[in-house]
Amino acid sequence: MDDYLVSVLSNIGVISFVALSAYLLLLTGEISFGQQAFFAIGAYAAGMATAMWGWPLALGIAWGAAVGAACAVSLGIPTLRLRGLQFSIATLAFAEMVRILFELFRYQVDIDGEPVGPNGTDGFRSIRYIFDHNIETFDFMMLIYTMLAVTLAGFMLLERSRLGVIFRMIGEDATLASLQGIAVARYKVLAAGIAGALAAVGGGLYAHLTTYVEPRTFDVMLGVHSLAYGLIGGLGTALGPLLGVVIDVGLLESVRLFAGYRMIIFGGLVALLLIFRPRGLLDERLVNRIGRLFRNAISGSTRTGRGSR
Amino acid sequence: MLDLQGIAKHFGGVHAVDGVDLTVKRGEILGLIGPNGSGKSTIVNLVSGLFPLTSGRILFEGDDISDLPSHARVGLGIARTFQNIRLFGQLSVWQNLWVAQNSRQQRQEVFFKRWFGGSAGVQAEIERTLEFFDLAHKRHELAANLSFGEQRRLEFARAISARPNLLLLDEPAAGMNAEEVDQLDARIRKMRDDGFTVLLIEHHVELVMSVADRIAVLNFGRKIAEGPPAAVQDDAAVREAYLGTR
Amino acid sequence: MRTIVCMLVAVAALTAGYPQAAHGQVRAKAAVTCVSAGQVLEYDCTIRLANARSGEPLSGLTVSVGADMPSMPGMHNVRAVKATEQAEKGAYKVRLELEMHGDWAVQIDLRGAVRDRVISMLRFEEADVTDVKPSSGRRGH
Repeated sequence: MDDYLVSVLSNIGVISFVALSAYLLLLTGEISFGQQAFFAIGAYAAGMATAMWGWPLALGIAWGAAVGAACAVSLGIPTLRLRGLQFSIATLAFAEMVRILFELFRYQVDIDGEPVGPNGTDGFRSIRYIFDHNIETFDFMMLIYTMLAVTLAGFMLLERSRLGVIFRMIGEDATLASLQGIAVARYKVLAAGIAGALAAVGGGLYAHLTTYVEPRTFDVMLGVHSLAYGLIGGLGTALGPLLGVVIDVGLLESVRLFAGYRMIIFGGLVALLLIFRPRGLLDERLVNRIGRLFRNAISGSTRTGRGSR
Repeated sequence: MLDLQGIAKHFGGVHAVDGVDLTVKRGEILGLIGPNGSGKSTIVNLVSGLFPLTSGRILFEGDDISDLPSHARVGLGIARTFQNIRLFGQLSVWQNLWVAQNSRQQRQEVFFKRWFGGSAGVQAEIERTLEFFDLAHKRHELAANLSFGEQRRLEFARAISARPNLLLLDEPAAGMNAEEVDQLDARIRKMRDDGFTVLLIEHHVELVMSVADRIAVLNFGRKIAEGPPAAVQDDAAVREAYLGTR
Repeated sequence: MRTIVCMLVAVAALTAGYPQAAHGQVRAKAAVTCVSAGQVLEYDCTIRLANARSGEPLSGLTVSVGADMPSMPGMHNVRAVKATEQAEKGAYKVRLELEMHGDWAVQIDLRGAVRDRVISMLRFEEADVTDVKPSSGRRGH
C-alpha cells in the first residue's frame, strides 16, 4: 500500500476517535468545544507511559484512556450542571487551560543518553515506540482501524441498548427525560467519561503515529473540527461523524483541487448543512427510514417464504 | 395516597398556587377543574417535581416527597402527561415506551435484559400497551411523524408504561374531537377498573363530570369547592368563577 | 464502560505479539536547512543525517520526507517525497511543496540500515525558513 494512502487513512482513523467523542456528547445535547483537551491528555499520558516508563503500547493507551476518562468525569461533575452555551464555554476554557498547562509542563528522563519527555512549548518528541519495536506504519494503521471497528461495534450496541436511547432522550429534552424517571445528571457524567476516554484513545494513537506532540497541536481548531464532523455527517448513527471525517480529511484535504480553499469550503459546508439538514446528512429520520426498509425487506421475504411452502 | 398540605407556588409576585389542601384517595379519579390561570397545571408540575414548592408539603403514601427530584418521584410511581404534547420525536414509538419503564420493580430486572431490548415479559407489556392505545401498527415510526391524535395516545401510553400508582393527566382532551374524547373517556374508566389512581386536570367539563369520582375546583390559586360532580356543578362559588358575578 | 473494556482487550490482544524493544538501536539526528526554490510554497531542503550518539554521518539510507502542521493535527497530508543522496556523506536533498506558510513539522523517515523518524520544526515563510524557537507562540492556520 502506498505510504501516502497509509498516512491519510491513519489520520482519518485517529481523528475519528475525537469526532466520535464529540458525537457522543452531541447525542446528550451538549456541545463541547473542549474534546481536544482529552485528546491531549491521552497523547501525553500514553506517550509518557511508553517512551519514558517503558510500558507496552496497549497498557500505555489504556492508561491514557483511563486518565482521559477520569479528567472528563471530574470536569463533567461541576460543568454539566451548566446549560447550553455556558457549558460550551466552560469546556473551551478548560481545553485552553489544559493546553497552557502543557506549555508549562516539563518532565524529562534520560533514555539512551537523550532527554525524553514533555518539554514545555517544545512539546514531547521521541515517542518512538513503533520505531523501537519495528512496527510498520501499515500495521499501525491496521491497529488504529481494529480499535476503531471495536469502538464502532460498541456504538452500534449502545444505539440498540437502553443506555443509547437514554442518551438521545436527554439530548432531546432533559426535563422530559427526568420526568420519565431518568437521573439525568448521572447519565451525562457517564457520557462525558466515555467521551473523554474515546478522545484520549485517539490522542494516544496520534502520539505514537506521529512520534511527537506539542501543546499547540491541541488548540481549539481540533475541537471545532471534531464537533463539526458529527454535525456534517449526521447525528442519527455513529457512522455520521466518520462520514464527516472522511469528507474533510479524505476528500477536501486529499483532492489537490481544493488546496488552499479547504477551510472556506469546509466552513461553507457546515453553514449550509446547519440550514438544510440541522442534524447532519445521516440524521435520525434517514436512519429510521433505512431501518424500516430493512425490516420490511426481512419481514417481506419471510412472508413470501411462508407463502411458497 | 397523595396528600397536598397547604402547598403554594409563587412566581415573583404571582401566586400561581396559594395554599391548596387536596387529597387523592387510592383508586379514585379526582377531577381538578378551574378557569384559565387558576393554577391547575402548576399543581401537576409541583407534584411531578418540575419546580420546588414555595411552601407546604407533598405527601405520597405517607412519605414527604417535597424535596425529591422528579426522576425519583417516577420511581415511587408518579407519572404524568403534558398539556402541550411532549414526546421524544427522534425516538420510535416503541423506544418511547421502552425507556419510560422506570418503576422500582422494572428497575430490578436482570441487567442484561433490561439494558438490551427487555425480557419477554417487558416486550409483551409494551405490546399490550400498544394494542390498548391502538398504536401497534406504528411501533417503528418516529414519534415526530405521528398524527396529533396518535401523539396524544402515545403520551398517555408512555405515562402508564412506568406502572404508576398515581397518574397525573394534564388536559388529555385538549385539541381532541368528540369521537376522540369518547375514546379517552372509555380509556380512563378502563384504567380506574385496572386499579390506577388518577388526578385529572381538564378544561373539558363534560369529560370530567362523566369520569371523575370527585371534583375539586380551583380559582386564583385557591380551592373553592370540592365534592361529587353533581354537588360541585350546583355550587354557587363555582358558577361564579366560571360565569362571572351576576 | 463496556466499550472501553472491549477496546482495551482488543489492544492487548493485538499488541501481545509484537517484538520487544531492541535496545542499543541506532538513533538518528538531522540538521535541516531549507531555502525557497523560487516558486511560492516550494522549498529545497538539505538534510544532514548523523548517528545521534556518535555523530557519524549516516549514508546509504532511503529517506522520505513529509510534513505536517502541528496546529492542525492530521489534517494536512503533504505527500512524502524521496530525498536524493548527495556526494557529501550523510547529506540528502529534497524539494518540498507545502500548502501554506507557517510552522511545519518536517518528518524525515529513514529506511535501510537504520529505521527511524526524525522530526524537525521549521517555520516556512515567503522568503526564508527558520528553526522554530520554543515559546515564539505564533500559530499558522
